Amino acid sequence: MKRIVFTLVATLIVLGLVACGPQAADTAAVRDTLTIAIGAEPESLDPVKMTSAPAATVGEHVVERLIYMEEDGTLTPMLATSWSANADSTVWTFEIRQGVTFHDGAPLNAEAVRANLARFVDPEVGAAYRFLLGSVQDIQATGEYTLQITLAQPFAPILSHLSHSFIGIVSPNQISDLAADGTFEIPVGTGPYVMERWSRGDSIRMSVNADYWGPIPQIPNLVFNFIPEESARIVALETGEADAIMAVPPQDVARLQQNPDIDVVFQTTVRTIYISFNNIREPFTDQRVRHALNYAIDKQAIVDSIFEGNAFVADAPIVDAVFGHTTVGPYEFNPDRARELLAEAGFPNGFDMVLHHPTGRYPLDATVAQAVQSMLADVGVNATLETREWSAYLQFTSQPPDRAEYDSFMLGWGTVTLDADYGLFALLHTRQWNPNGNNRGFYSNPRVDELLDAARIETNPDRRRTMYHEAVDLIWDDAPWIFLYNAGQINAVRSNVQGLIHHPLENLSAWAASFR
Amino acid sequence: MATEVNPTTAPSPREKTSEFREVLRHLVRNRAAVVGLCIIGGFVLVSLFAPLFATHDPLRINLGNRLKPPSAEHFLGTDELGRDLFSRMLYGGRISLNIGVISVFIGVVIGVPIGAVSGYFGGKLDMFTQRFIDIMIAFPGILLAIVVVTVLGVGVENVMIATGIASVPIYARLVRGSVLAIKEQSYVTAAHAAGLGDMRIIFRQILPNCLAPIIVQSTFQIATSILWAAGLGFLGLGAQAPTPEWGAILSNGRAYIRTAHHVTTYPGLAILLMVLGFNLVGDGLRDALDPKTR
Amino acid sequence: MLAIPVVIGVSIIVFSLVRLIPGDPARAMAGVNATPDFIEAIRVRHALDQPIPVQYARFVVRFLQGDLGNSIFSGRPVTTEIGERFPRTLILATIALVIATTLGVTAGIISATRRNSLFDNASMLVALVGVAAPVFWMALMLQLLFAVQLRMLPATGIGTIRHLVLPSITLGTASAALMARITRSSMLDVLRQDFITTARAKGLDERLVIYKHALKNALIPVVTVLGLQFGILLGGAVLTETVFAWPGVGRLLVDAILRRDYPVVQGTVMLLALLFVLINLVVDIIYAFLDPRIHYLSGRGE
Repeated sequence: MKRIVFTLVATLIVLGLVACGPQAADTAAVRDTLTIAIGAEPESLDPVKMTSAPAATVGEHVVERLIYMEEDGTLTPMLATSWSANADSTVWTFEIRQGVTFHDGAPLNAEAVRANLARFVDPEVGAAYRFLLGSVQDIQATGEYTLQITLAQPFAPILSHLSHSFIGIVSPNQISDLAADGTFEIPVGTGPYVMERWSRGDSIRMSVNADYWGPIPQIPNLVFNFIPEESARIVALETGEADAIMAVPPQDVARLQQNPDIDVVFQTTVRTIYISFNNIREPFTDQRVRHALNYAIDKQAIVDSIFEGNAFVADAPIVDAVFGHTTVGPYEFNPDRARELLAEAGFPNGFDMVLHHPTGRYPLDATVAQAVQSMLADVGVNATLETREWSAYLQFTSQPPDRAEYDSFMLGWGTVTLDADYGLFALLHTRQWNPNGNNRGFYSNPRVDELLDAARIETNPDRRRTMYHEAVDLIWDDAPWIFLYNAGQINAVRSNVQGLIHHPLENLSAWAASFR
Repeated sequence: MATEVNPTTAPSPREKTSEFREVLRHLVRNRAAVVGLCIIGGFVLVSLFAPLFATHDPLRINLGNRLKPPSAEHFLGTDELGRDLFSRMLYGGRISLNIGVISVFIGVVIGVPIGAVSGYFGGKLDMFTQRFIDIMIAFPGILLAIVVVTVLGVGVENVMIATGIASVPIYARLVRGSVLAIKEQSYVTAAHAAGLGDMRIIFRQILPNCLAPIIVQSTFQIATSILWAAGLGFLGLGAQAPTPEWGAILSNGRAYIRTAHHVTTYPGLAILLMVLGFNLVGDGLRDALDPKTR
Repeated sequence: MLAIPVVIGVSIIVFSLVRLIPGDPARAMAGVNATPDFIEAIRVRHALDQPIPVQYARFVVRFLQGDLGNSIFSGRPVTTEIGERFPRTLILATIALVIATTLGVTAGIISATRRNSLFDNASMLVALVGVAAPVFWMALMLQLLFAVQLRMLPATGIGTIRHLVLPSITLGTASAALMARITRSSMLDVLRQDFITTARAKGLDERLVIYKHALKNALIPVVTVLGLQFGILLGGAVLTETVFAWPGVGRLLVDAILRRDYPVVQGTVMLLALLFVLINLVVDIIYAFLDPRIHYLSGRGE
């Protein structure tokens, strides 16, 4: 027994010595590795299996798509060098970049792209984001480097849909023998980095692609670490375990800014956060009630205090970077006006309602819900908060009209294609009512439907823009939601790192980064 | 974290009143237990009279007054929505105590009959129950609680049910052990001979004599449930906002641990102190109820 | 061999319980963008559209062939997922248990032999606080102290032994505290017993009495708790693993529950259940080895 105790004690001591030893090794070495800490692990880096923002951020270093969306929303050539459409915009022809090879040496050509796109739209494969290419009827490689995509009917935002991070092109060797439900762990793309190792739950490592067709990255190795706990992520940055972190909570900004070794970076996002009414349920069928509740909320106070200025009061149902946006708001904070409107609608003493909200899905969501609750109470509306765990929450708010048991719910929507179609059609078109689409609040306005339908197939950008402006205006006045705020994103970077791209699509890209 | 209690041999029912006085005498002589009793008593008192002591409305939000450090106006400072932390803590004590007590009640109501029936009747049923309970006990209670909460949905009531269910196997095993010891006692065999029904014997003769270990275990279990509730809060499966449950305050406050540490420090200390109190009393009770250590 | 029906029982309970959770895996994956098409595709692919008994039968048939199915979330075999994560949790739990046992048993023995000394009171106070602190709170505090203030240890991640220190201490603290208390009270019990008095009366060296005679007997309840604690540490590492970004099986399980990744939940729980059966068995064996009656019959205890 003594011996066992002795062994245990000895182990402990050795452990302690190792633990307390000097930490010189990591810091003194030549900086050839950039470490980025993100909050969640990608589910997969196979384009047809990707569903999350972390997957997009990590994946785009390895796998590229035909078209890249710049930070300002312009579409620039990536694996396609140019594109053109026929007169009615139903047949699109893409010239594929020549001289590009995949990480396994296979050449990039039209056939490789075709195979990837065909896999993406194959119903048997069942990609979650297949709807992005829902209008595609046929894909043909018409030449070694010429690809032709035929649409069932004109679809104006097709190019921005093709720029979506999930429509990546991997080596044909990787997918040629794959069964419909087959997948792979390490994608072989054409990107600036080659993926090496995925240590599940911990990190993804990649190294520079020396044969990259574009500017070759300066930093040889790139590591993405997954650290779910916010405070732990910040600690990792402060100790230098990470060179950059995503999603810094607003309350830590001031403190991090005082650290001379750390730069805090602010960027907009394309995500708008709103509280939707159940527009077919009393009393939210009354426009005066919907207006009243919009007037009752002090959006600016929420942005200034809870987000410490790192969010933006919504002035339309889509963020301003989106094509088709026009400033129509915000509803001013005016509790008196709210009470008046409630009285006019027959609720001089307010009413009771339930506000459903997610917890931990969007930054500070539950905190915002509590603030909204107290502001509603000030105009006499007694809102009970109810949260559900995310998957259950989505299920609850996806019920068809006759089974929808909610007054209102809080949700966010990112218009990732930067086109109003993505931001308005799915959320507000009558045909998109649950369970067909994302119109969970059962909003319906025939004129809005008409405009959204027409703008989808309109190829003239100016006429399209005018249509969206009218739709945005109508939606704002109908007020199917309490329009809250557009989320901002905050990243933090060690000061010796420069050149990271903090993209409004909530991607952090490292291909242009270097150490100072 | 389950603290195990050894079933003790129980006295016959006639000795109950003097037994109670004896236990009390031993408990009061145990300094640690007295400290524990004082802590619990303090929390109970403060929670009962929370509305009297509270200086502010615990739900009153003031966005202009967020995360203020402790002051004469706000004894423990304000939280991330400018609410008075002191008042929230007072009301939160009620909720945390409730979680502890009600979950224990649930665990007892379900676990005790299972253990009693299994121990009393024995045989195949007992063997199976026993093995099953072994595994359930080995399964960390918090995991069981997580599953139950995801099935039922979040909220204080469901946290109570979840932590209660998670403690069922502990009671079942404990009571089974006691029943095995007691059922051989002369007054039970006598009751049998007198022709009393099994259920009557279990509920009239046996269970009253298992009370000692159940009470001791419950004292510990209240503490454990409070900790489990905090853990659920950490995973976003705890109380519904804006309920001022301590675990919820603590886990929300952790976002401000670097900038306004009072939002985590005080609820953390409060939970620690309350759990400590129950554990001290549990220890004291165990010693007082155990004839060996008297 | 009662373990077999028990494992079957556990599998049925887990199987039905996870399917009772509202929400569905497709929604957990694609969020607001989960189209009816996609939801249906996932249901069909993972046979979730079949009646539950049919699903269960499929599960059993596959399980017997060593196949736990594929994760809905990542598409990878569940056996691979668990195979990668489990060793990490095993290391963490083992080290935590070693720390807990070493500290706990040592403190318990010293406390018992010097009852009511300063050491006794101090270590019992520490033990009491150790079990009373919420785990994640303590994890955050340790992280701030050792990683941020003292810069002695890494805050998160895996890789070196140094990465193990904070999570294993966090995980082991509550167990250490429990062990200390149990060792102490068990030791006190034993020291009062006849054979110890006899041994002392025979004039045996006090240290020999304590370490050879008393300790072995006092360790019986400790061993029982040890087995139990190991199970609790293995599965209970959820909170610790989250704070320290330790990619173990605890976090895998909780993530899988939250994502409705049924195959992963089932697989992990089954593995843990089998493991607990095994641990119980080992405990029984050690128990028999330590049982004083066996020793006194064989005369080895003298």
